[in-house]
Amino acid sequence: MKNRSYKAEKVIELLGKKLNRQIVGSLAACVHCGMCTEMCHYVLTNPDDPTYAPAYKGDQLRKIFKRHYDWTGRVFPWWVKAKSVYTDEDLEALKDTVFGKCTNCRRCTINCPMGVDLASFNRMARGLLVSVGIMPEGVAVVSKDQWEIGNQMGVLKEDYLDTLEWMEEELQDELEDETVKIPVDKMNCDVVYSINPREVKYDPRTIADAAKIFHFAGENWTMPSEGWDMTNFGLFSGDDDLGGSVGRRLYEKVEELRGKKLVISECGHGYRSTRCEAPNWGKLDVPFEMESSVITMLRYIKEGKIKVDKTRNQEPVTFHDSCNNARSCGLFDEPRELLNLVVTDFREMYPNKAENYCCTGGGGAMSMTEYTPRRLKSAKIKADQLTATGAKIVVTSCHNCVDGLTDLIRHYKLDIKVAQLVNLTANALVIPEKISLPEEAAVKRIPEPSTDNVLAGKKILIADDEPDILTFFSTVLEDNGAEVITALNGKEAVELIRKEKPDLVTLDLNMPEMDGGKVFEILRKDPELADIPVCIITGRPELRRLIYDRPVKAPEGYLDKPVDEDTLIINIRKILEVKKHSSK
Amino acid sequence: MSDALHFAEHTLQEIALIFMAVVYIIRLLWIFHFKAGRDRQAPTGAFNTTPAKGALYSLANIMMPWGMESTRKKPLFYIQFVIFHLGVVSAILLSFIIPYGPSLLESQFIAAILHSSIGLACLVGCIRMIRRITKPVMRAISSPDDYFSLALLTAWFFFAFWAVPNNTQNGETILLIYFWMTAFFLIYVPFSKISHYLYYPITRYYLGKTLGHRGVYPFKRSNRPEVVNH
Ligand code: SF4
Ligand code: SF4
Repeated sequence: MKNRSYKAEKVIELLGKKLNRQIVGSLAACVHCGMCTEMCHYVLTNPDDPTYAPAYKGDQLRKIFKRHYDWTGRVFPWWVKAKSVYTDEDLEALKDTVFGKCTNCRRCTINCPMGVDLASFNRMARGLLVSVGIMPEGVAVVSKDQWEIGNQMGVLKEDYLDTLEWMEEELQDELEDETVKIPVDKMNCDVVYSINPREVKYDPRTIADAAKIFHFAGENWTMPSEGWDMTNFGLFSGDDDLGGSVGRRLYEKVEELRGKKLVISECGHGYRSTRCEAPNWGKLDVPFEMESSVITMLRYIKEGKIKVDKTRNQEPVTFHDSCNNARSCGLFDEPRELLNLVVTDFREMYPNKAENYCCTGGGGAMSMTEYTPRRLKSAKIKADQLTATGAKIVVTSCHNCVDGLTDLIRHYKLDIKVAQLVNLTANALVIPEKISLPEEAAVKRIPEPSTDNVLAGKKILIADDEPDILTFFSTVLEDNGAEVITALNGKEAVELIRKEKPDLVTLDLNMPEMDGGKVFEILRKDPELADIPVCIITGRPELRRLIYDRPVKAPEGYLDKPVDEDTLIINIRKILEVKKHSSK
Repeated sequence: MSDALHFAEHTLQEIALIFMAVVYIIRLLWIFHFKAGRDRQAPTGAFNTTPAKGALYSLANIMMPWGMESTRKKPLFYIQFVIFHLGVVSAILLSFIIPYGPSLLESQFIAAILHSSIGLACLVGCIRMIRRITKPVMRAISSPDDYFSLALLTAWFFFAFWAVPNNTQNGETILLIYFWMTAFFLIYVPFSKISHYLYYPITRYYLGKTLGHRGVYPFKRSNRPEVVNH
């Protein structure tokens, strides 16, 4: 009898505990007919590699199940290809399949004549591996952030509240109306609005757009100061405990605020987790209503609470269905109905609705950088789908899909922008007479980053050991009016910061001579430099602890590489604006 | 009829059937001892979808080749599937008709139906075996049981085809082989992938119930772009 590693032993034991009737059915019922094969985007882009076939991927867990929990496999393992796991390397191989070759998109599930739900047990397999610490680095980092900081992007409470404040001020300026508010922790509201931390970090304009819509709809709404993150990495990591606890955090906050309804901003996995899965993971009965913001916006229009003018969105638009929304929550008709109300030229991609292809960034794939080449290769299917529509904008109701689509659009050099329904609805919003604005102002979006010298008069130091990054960041910042100083290593950065006293520092973590963590600590401990805002920009999220574990004030901003132009400017602007307001 | 053939047609079949039934009952008890996961959340999706409708749709899905892209895009494969399974039904029926209602085979019509459905199923079995052996992806997902089950069924069809006339004048060999194979088939089935029909109602019911609760089933197909373009 072969020796088995502790982790392998544990995985087998936990598998037995996690089996339920649905999963056992799916594991036992596959007849290896191959009907699901070409339903998977990975197969379509890797036709010569059978290891991408859904049934093959499913068999990687199935063989363990058969070897330990199914009778034929226990008696005649070789006959049904039952096989146990013995070493940590065996588990690593399983990890490569369940995390790196499947986005849990469920497209094979709905195409399996037997009703085998591969996506569900693939998620379970992820959970088994996570429970013994075997997972991609990115999954570990994000899970840790969600457990410890309360949201999956490590956004600190101050950062979140600062962003809300900033967006509120921007809205007030845009609408020239000081009564426009983004209320926080208001009691007894009809709507409690929860968002994705990505909105705070990369896309604050979606918060402002939503606020604008709530304002003009006359909604009695609020955002919670805590438990505001409706995303849930438990869905991707397969960790039901994390999933349940994240859901509970959100539900408890709504109850504490005595909110009547939880509205979930546009995010596929967030909607699915919060609306559908977390009550099951956490065995919770949620006493209030929950709704996607897509349905809320559509309702406002139908009830006449807001008026929209679709001629403000005239570019050809197509719609990408998030797998979690469409295939797991039946949310596919409402976004189309809304789109048809706010744009003039909507073009359906094919296939669509619950049959649409994954954006390829699903299942947490965007956080698993080691699988990026595979992901982008498989994205060819989506790229072709988009191109065939001739659309200039692809709309999606999912932040994860926004990232996935943005990345593939860049990779395949498509001339298409990504937007969300909230952006188009806010843009089409007809501002009521009494505070009507000139047409130009009414359609102004927040913030329009790289149009003019938004950083004029600002001195920014960029510390990064990659010359390409230095050149890219310098060009972007200089184009926006900033004066830029560059440093190629940590030591040089400290010297230049002391000499130049910049308005802001962007800091890479992994640098020669002195790492970014050390530079950061030196800055924070020097009374003369401690107030200079710092934005950490790193390609190694696992090094984040180098910063947060230090006994000093957290950095003002944090970005994961790769960073695009808009994201860089939005975040730099936000940090500088917040600093300006806090020092007033 | 010889004693050997009488035994094969009657006693042997009865023993095999009882054995299969007992093993199936054990199998069902085993699967039902796992607790079913439940959906606590309020329903999502279109208001007119329900878990019951979803389950019903899901169970009937296989009879709606237009319902899934995988069957829609491969009509020939779907036809093969239908022929193969009709062949199974015919070959099983035959194992009851010969011992308990041989006069039915005097009807040219019934004999022709059994003949053609079993014969075509045998052909499909051969095509499927070629597919399983020649396609790398099929090889990668196939176990010895997959090959054996398919070979067993194809051979069984072959002998069932020749057994249809139920003619012992030219010897009983074919009928003996057919009934012994049927008995072996009945005993082997619960341990092989052929028992998938036992799981089918379970997997499809639960998937349908969940997707019905979530507004995905009954399924709405993709719109063709021409239909919705402005
Ligand atoms: S379609 Fe279903 S039964 Fe057929 S190989 Fe795929 S998972 Fe297995
Ligand atoms: S769930 Fe999606 S990515 Fe995973 S195997 Fe099925 S079709 Fe492929």
